[in-house]
Amino acid sequence: MNSFAQRFSSSGPIAQLAKARGTLADDDDDFSDAVWGSEAGFGNVAKGIPTFTVPSIPDPTSFLQLHTDDHADPSCRIKIQHGTTTLAFRFKGGVIVAVDSRATAGSYIASGTVKKVIEINPYLLGTMAGGAADCQYWETYLGMHCRLHELRNKERISVSAASKFLSNLVYSYKGMGLSMGTMICGWDKTGPAIFYVDSDGTRLKGDLFSVGSGSTFAYGVLDQGYHWDLTDAEAQELGRRSIYAAGHRDAFSGNTVNLYHVKENGWEFIGNYDVNALHYDGPGDVAGSPGHGYGYSVRTEGISSANPPTSSA
Amino acid sequence: MANADGGAYSYSLTVFSPSGKLVQIEHALAAVAQGTTSLGIKATNGIVIATEKKTSSILIDDSVIDKVAVICPNIGIVYSGMGPDFRILVTKARKSAQAYWKLYGTYPPTRVLTQEIATVMQQATQSGGVRPYGVSLLVAGWDSHRGQTLYQVDPSGSFWAWKASAIGKNMVNAKTFLEKRYNDDISLEDAIHTALLTLKEGFEGQMTEKTIEIGVVTVPTPQELEEENKDGATGRVKPTFRKLSEEEVRDYLAL
Amino acid sequence: MDYNGGSVIAMLGKDCVAIAADLRLGNQALGISADFQRVFPITDRIYLGLPGLATDVATLYERFRFRVNMYTIKEGREIEPETFAHLVSSTLYERRFGPYFVEPVMAGISRTPTGKIKPFIAATDLIGCLNFAKDFVVAGTASQKLYGVAEGLWEPDLEPEDLFETISQTMLNAVDRDAFSGWGAVVHVITKDKVVTRTLKGRMD
Repeated sequence: MNSFAQRFSSSGPIAQLAKARGTLADDDDDFSDAVWGSEAGFGNVAKGIPTFTVPSIPDPTSFLQLHTDDHADPSCRIKIQHGTTTLAFRFKGGVIVAVDSRATAGSYIASGTVKKVIEINPYLLGTMAGGAADCQYWETYLGMHCRLHELRNKERISVSAASKFLSNLVYSYKGMGLSMGTMICGWDKTGPAIFYVDSDGTRLKGDLFSVGSGSTFAYGVLDQGYHWDLTDAEAQELGRRSIYAAGHRDAFSGNTVNLYHVKENGWEFIGNYDVNALHYDGPGDVAGSPGHGYGYSVRTEGISSANPPTSSA
Repeated sequence: MANADGGAYSYSLTVFSPSGKLVQIEHALAAVAQGTTSLGIKATNGIVIATEKKTSSILIDDSVIDKVAVICPNIGIVYSGMGPDFRILVTKARKSAQAYWKLYGTYPPTRVLTQEIATVMQQATQSGGVRPYGVSLLVAGWDSHRGQTLYQVDPSGSFWAWKASAIGKNMVNAKTFLEKRYNDDISLEDAIHTALLTLKEGFEGQMTEKTIEIGVVTVPTPQELEEENKDGATGRVKPTFRKLSEEEVRDYLAL
Repeated sequence: MDYNGGSVIAMLGKDCVAIAADLRLGNQALGISADFQRVFPITDRIYLGLPGLATDVATLYERFRFRVNMYTIKEGREIEPETFAHLVSSTLYERRFGPYFVEPVMAGISRTPTGKIKPFIAATDLIGCLNFAKDFVVAGTASQKLYGVAEGLWEPDLEPEDLFETISQTMLNAVDRDAFSGWGAVVHVITKDKVVTRTLKGRMD
């Protein structure tokens, strides 16, 4: 009955609640988040981990879990691209990082030119699988902290420390829909190093990883060709060949291969290769090239009557 | 042994006699031979089928009796023999034509429909607890594959294509008459007159539009064929078989 | 529908028709074969494309073969494309409440009763709803992409060679945007006196 009076009084319970809300929202500073747009939220670094608005309900985590992508429920509302093949392996000559470039939304191939290797800084590479935005944002943010580390300690951050920073960070958002499967690759005092980090909070050190829907295909080629004493050319060819295999067989991987080689003095971009060209003609005149197409029918053409030589077309 | 689970009386009535005949079928043909005469003539541009409509009493309203039946827009049939048996066959034939239309989107060719009816009639000669149909049929129709065709089906289920044929009471005389009159260049108009002349032979009583039924198949013109034989306004199939109205029959009789 | 993947398109030209299909057979994301034929000759002048669940593709093709053979024997003539389309429709609707997961596409040439050439294309959904088109019909996992490309490339009254080029480019470019189609393609161009079949190399990823 007295709701009208309550609503417009400056001392009633509703007014007090509104005041309390105002105080909470203002405790950061006088600026809204949008003001930081040009710096993409990184302006909050001085205060630690950036803050994000979460759904204004009692339990935002369970709400997000309900509506964002996870392995259990493919019919959720917020879709995140999953199809990918990425790999990285350590060998005597450094680290090889190779990825495909396909982005899919359902069965639709949304892009064939995605950069799935994130150049964190001249010594660190991160790979992208899962949510493209999550990987891009947090690995760039990781880059900022790596630089801050350098300034504070007058030496480069170790791959181990960098990956642990990322792992701890994504763990703090666990259950809120972050989706990342990444490999942090680099060269530090200990030599070449790879750490696998994902949004569940997993962090693993290892010699050889592959992540994404096409990873099984990549592992197949990788495992049979991998050993520590690979030459640079052999290692690059193995990375290229492995991503090709995934691009060929996996519907959600393909288009092109991006190949990186991390050496003592930082990473080097080796090249971009069209998967289709690799199938029919091979990588062309590059180190480790077999000089012919990777495709099975291409390699075996004319060897038996089951696959007779094609005249033309 | 006539008991509940069968016995001697549950055998098919159509059994071979020692001489190899199916006596029941011969009896069925005898029933046909008692029926009123029907005939059909194939012309260069159509077919006519006609029959005599005889009633046992002047009190019967003969305007309601149908002896020439439309099965589907391109096929019609006429019979000699037992009216009730014919009615059953007409119903089955119409259903069969509609089933064909549902499956293929067109009405059946004459031969296919004839075969369907013949199968029904044959099955009655081999099934338990039934008797053969006491009718012979003349099936007239047009289709794009074979053009206009005229078939006769007998109680045994056998069928033939004819240029001209007659069935029923006066069939022997009628056939002899048709053999004399028929030629391969006959037009539909001539065929209709020949049909009436043939029926006149041995016709009991007065031949009027009330005592005659005529059905005709007309071959569509090339232009009608290009339009896929559809009526422009309704989109329905234009019939190539139709029954002549009493007025039309009267006009033919007057000539 | 996207368990095995695959797409088909048919186009109308001047006194000719063309039908094209990709060659991929998948098991979800895994590509199994680059040599899966999903277009079948029904008569000398009718081709049928069956994109959809591979097991149903095989089963349905056999059922159609059976029914067309029975038709040919019973009627003593080859089935006409329009009649065959109705047969396809009826066969699919028989399974209205437990359908085959297949969306047939047909292309053929018929002759009108006066001897004119009449090219014909049609498609149905998985329970047999017929669609007689005057330009092109598409089906399969890349159907939306095929619509887009075909809408841009197709024009009326194409001669056989131009129709081949149009349908080939449409197919190749559409499947490059579909994860479940591709791995090469096959094209049949049907004219009144011959059928030309060509296999196209496509992207292998």
